[in-house]
Amino acid sequence: MTPDDLAIRNATYRRFVELGRAPTLDEIAAATGEGIETVRDAWRRLHDAHALVVDDDGRLRMANPFSAVKTPHRVEAAGRTWYANCGWDAFGIGVVLRKDSTIRTTCPDCADPIELEVRANRPTDASPVFHVLVPAHDWWSDIGFT
Amino acid sequence: MLVFRSEDHVDRWLAGRPRGAIVPITKVAELAEAWWWDRLDPDWRPHTLEQNQAILNRVGLTGEFWRLG
Repeated sequence: MTPDDLAIRNATYRRFVELGRAPTLDEIAAATGEGIETVRDAWRRLHDAHALVVDDDGRLRMANPFSAVKTPHRVEAAGRTWYANCGWDAFGIGVVLRKDSTIRTTCPDCADPIELEVRANRPTDASPVFHVLVPAHDWWSDIGFT
Repeated sequence: MLVFRSEDHVDRWLAGRPRGAIVPITKVAELAEAWWWDRLDPDWRPHTLEQNQAILNRVGLTGEFWRLG
């Protein structure tokens, strides 16, 4: 990962938090003073390095733990609503923002809502369980599925 | 990586498929804290595989299922 790619990666994360949503190529180009094609190429290399995830059209899909698209894992933190890529990432949003959070998701089995208050990075209700279907060495084979 | 109401709900959802790994939600929170802590740091650098494996080990997620590479 080159210093230039790292700078674009850091600007992408910074703008994601500032905007409360995924930044566009144009917005990162403006934030860094780089051209759109330079940012697009950097995002692709960062994707290949697992530093963020872009979709087939080159748009930002994940800046983990943040999701650029709506998911079943909604997180209230820092006065905003965020979407996480999975249950694990949902805890990560409060961690990276250094804020308490509320995670709202649904049980995949019964579709009942699950609401978790997270204080100092720990849930106040320890009764739900977490299931990981994919072994760790395959997580990045299909990160969307993982 | 999904949150369920209980282990019974996991098994019903799996409908006979083999389980992956069941992890207490408190351990997921512990893992998330260690894994994501530096993600917004201005001087962030990518974790190496060894660093991430060490995080998994530290929170007690060990064995073949949790081997990253």
